[in-house]
Amino acid sequence: MIDRNQVRNIDWVLIGLLILNSVIGIAFIHSSSHYLPGNHALKQFFWLLAALIALFVFLSVNYTILIAYSLYFYSITIIILSGILLFGRLTAGTKSWIVLPFFRIQPSEITKIAVILVLAHMFSTYRKGSLSIGHGVLSILIVGIPVLLVGLQPDLGTALTYIPILLAVFVMVGLKRRTIIIFVILALLLGIVGWSAVLKDYQKERITTLLTPEKDPLGSGYQTIQSKIAIGSGGFLGKGYKKGTQSQLRFLPARHTDFIFSVIGEEFGFIGVIVTFLLYFLFLARLFQSVSKSRDRAGAFIIYMVAGMIAFQFFVNVFMTIGLFPIAGVPLPLFSYGGSSLLTNFLAVSLVINVSMRRFVNV
Amino acid sequence: MKKEKKIYEDLTPIQNKAQITFILVGTIFLFLLFFFWKIQILDHNKFWRQSEANRIREIILPPQRGLIEDRNGIILATNIASFQISIIRENCQDIEQSYQKISRLLGLELSVLRERIEKYKFLPMFQPIVIMDNLDVNEVSRVKARQAEFPELIIQSEPKRNYPYEALAAHVLGYLQEISQEEIRQSISQRRPGDLVGKTGIEKEYESLLVGKEGRVLEIADSLGRRVGEISRVGSYPGRDIRLTLDFALQRKAEELLEGREGAVVVLDPRTGEILALASFPTFDPNKFISRFSPEEWLNLLRDPDFPLENRAIRGLYAPGSIFKLAMSLGVLDSQVVSEWKTYYCTGSTRIYGHPFACWFKGGHGSVNLINGIKNSCNIYFYQVGKLMGIEEIAKYARMLGLGSLTGIDLPGEKEGLVPDPDWKRKVRNEPWYPGETISVSIGQGPIQVTPLQIAAYTALFANRGKSVSPYLYKNKSVPTSEGQADIQESIFEKVITGMWKSANEGGTGRAASVQGFDVCSKTGSTQVVSTATAKKLGEREKIIKTHSWFTGFAPRENPEIVVTIIVEYGGMGGATAAPLAGEIFRLYRENHDR
Repeated sequence: MIDRNQVRNIDWVLIGLLILNSVIGIAFIHSSSHYLPGNHALKQFFWLLAALIALFVFLSVNYTILIAYSLYFYSITIIILSGILLFGRLTAGTKSWIVLPFFRIQPSEITKIAVILVLAHMFSTYRKGSLSIGHGVLSILIVGIPVLLVGLQPDLGTALTYIPILLAVFVMVGLKRRTIIIFVILALLLGIVGWSAVLKDYQKERITTLLTPEKDPLGSGYQTIQSKIAIGSGGFLGKGYKKGTQSQLRFLPARHTDFIFSVIGEEFGFIGVIVTFLLYFLFLARLFQSVSKSRDRAGAFIIYMVAGMIAFQFFVNVFMTIGLFPIAGVPLPLFSYGGSSLLTNFLAVSLVINVSMRRFVNV
Repeated sequence: MKKEKKIYEDLTPIQNKAQITFILVGTIFLFLLFFFWKIQILDHNKFWRQSEANRIREIILPPQRGLIEDRNGIILATNIASFQISIIRENCQDIEQSYQKISRLLGLELSVLRERIEKYKFLPMFQPIVIMDNLDVNEVSRVKARQAEFPELIIQSEPKRNYPYEALAAHVLGYLQEISQEEIRQSISQRRPGDLVGKTGIEKEYESLLVGKEGRVLEIADSLGRRVGEISRVGSYPGRDIRLTLDFALQRKAEELLEGREGAVVVLDPRTGEILALASFPTFDPNKFISRFSPEEWLNLLRDPDFPLENRAIRGLYAPGSIFKLAMSLGVLDSQVVSEWKTYYCTGSTRIYGHPFACWFKGGHGSVNLINGIKNSCNIYFYQVGKLMGIEEIAKYARMLGLGSLTGIDLPGEKEGLVPDPDWKRKVRNEPWYPGETISVSIGQGPIQVTPLQIAAYTALFANRGKSVSPYLYKNKSVPTSEGQADIQESIFEKVITGMWKSANEGGTGRAASVQGFDVCSKTGSTQVVSTATAKKLGEREKIIKTHSWFTGFAPRENPEIVVTIIVEYGGMGGATAAPLAGEIFRLYRENHDR
């Protein structure tokens, strides 16, 4: 199935950036959790190896085949999501985990891959200049069902990360001005209804404290304040690896997961931030460039959706650490501790490489 | 080429959109870079300070409070170990939930707990607030066992004040209570809310010596309040021990004698002014309310109609009654209004300025001169000489003997009493002085007011033949006590003392105070609490019940060593009630000093 030409076309630079970012992530996971029980850094390292293997295995299957079977993948993941919602046990206040003997996974992460494939499948033969109502509703449903299921767990942060996939499709297909207006109105209505009926109190609180974190320094504002203190106190050069007091003395919440970027900011200062931004910028640049390496419409869609999804998550996470976005539980892709997220991002990038390495193949 | 075009569709529009999106991504990166530059470079100092404050915690090491001892080293106030539980609000996951859990754990009512914390809510969140104190090891171990569930609670040991003899000398020693906001503002040294400070007595007067210096530990703590390391440590410095002039045996005796009555006893050494005993009754056990909280005992004491918290010896204001006749005698002899041999005839009553004035002895004393006037405490004699002297002269001698002004004892709250004269009456009551009032003041009645301590100091002045001493309690007081000398001939004092000696030893009113071979010199008094007119209505028996019983005296006659002053409220006649009590004190002193 895989020939030498294709291996030669594998985007090794992208894989290199992927691994480099993940390894830096592990270094900071270690810094921020070495005093906690359970070796998080080592676990993440095993996840990295597993994700790397999965990446290559995934490459060996032509993405057109994956697209062809995408509806099955999608159905299976929806069933799993519904299943854990009905039968799952609460872990840390949500039903987002499938607990297996040695590890646990979050199906809500993996589902994103299936959503991307289904959407690619749907629009692979779509040739109109702008989105039709039918396709619009259908794509909203495809994204909306898992968003609803994940939101009910309740895991608002992960549900949020589905949104850029949908947006990416809209941008790719193109929207008429009228459609945009309708969407804006719908979004506003949804926001009002959501605020008054769907959002739980703690979620609303997170949004309101975004505006005035000092009002409640020990409540919802606490995390934002502590994160800003961590980053700001890092200064230009930082306090040194494993020497960040905000992180080491546990003032910073969720240090090895959602706030890992604050640890970087504290321990390596502005320099560390610039280097991380640079590496991420190169990584995202490589992803967006890959759009032009697709030989068909479906491939371009896949790459664009993946790039959009990762960029969105990255920005939401970084915005969150400096108080520009509510604390939403969105991890920093590749850096934050968490196997499911890492695996999903590797598989997503795997899809990108899958498309770009097969650009010269005749059908 | 043509074939290729069929296979590859034109994706240029899609690629362009991707390019635009990527430019957007780059712009956001630039924006973020600017934002991090602001936080990490421009605002760095502010956040740096906040991160430092986050991890450094100051722990106060309470100093050991100085001991208080009697003159022979018997410890009257000491410290014992006790424990307190404090809450650090910063470590509460959920304040409300925390309150409820703590309330259950400690068996403390929720409203009490809330009120307690509310009082100190202005403190920074990391600073502990004491919610329970005076706990012993057993009570604390229960909490300690569940410490892991309660990261917001900390247990600290603190030395607790203890008075081993309970109520003994309670009015002298005073007691500790939580510092008030007012006191914090006024204090020179750094005191904090929750500190215990002396509120009365020696504990208050010598607070600055007793308190010592607290130690400070700066330690690094993590966000759960757990100690990670130490930055610096300055040990606490114990307070100075204070040795009092009090004599344990005499003090205990004085309190035993007052048991069941209301009144005061002052015993002092006339040579120096050292207070040997100072008792006030009813009294209280200060151990029962050394607490940051106001338990029932404390409120009961405050509500008690007999005012057990009042130190009657220095704050009780009484008419001196016949005790004032010593001052009158001195005035008579010094001003020479009449000679010491001049006699007046006492029939038990007389009329002056058209008003009847009675002697306490209905049968009358017959012919009375100065010495007998003192010995038998004849009112008629002093009415007559008082009339001749006039109020201005009387007031002059009263003030010369220290009445109407503070003795300067080293206890807070002393009262100065009152020596009345026409000026005072005009100013305070806006009325002229009536001649009849002079007659009342002549026997120590009317508006004149003294404290038992003033009478003791006044008696010491007689004992010293004119040399005055100011009474004090702190034995090692470095400031020399002020001494004065009344501008009156020593021979005049000797004459008054002769009368005092006869009062105790030749069947006078003070005879019940005499001690074999100890030459007690004394004067008794019985002061009317209600007016004569009211007394008449109540009848003879009531009148006796309603008089305060006074005794003051010293011994021995030559080179006096001890002054005893006693007042028993509603005790009846001075010679019948106060004098026997004084006799017991003289006897005990003599026994202890003749060995």
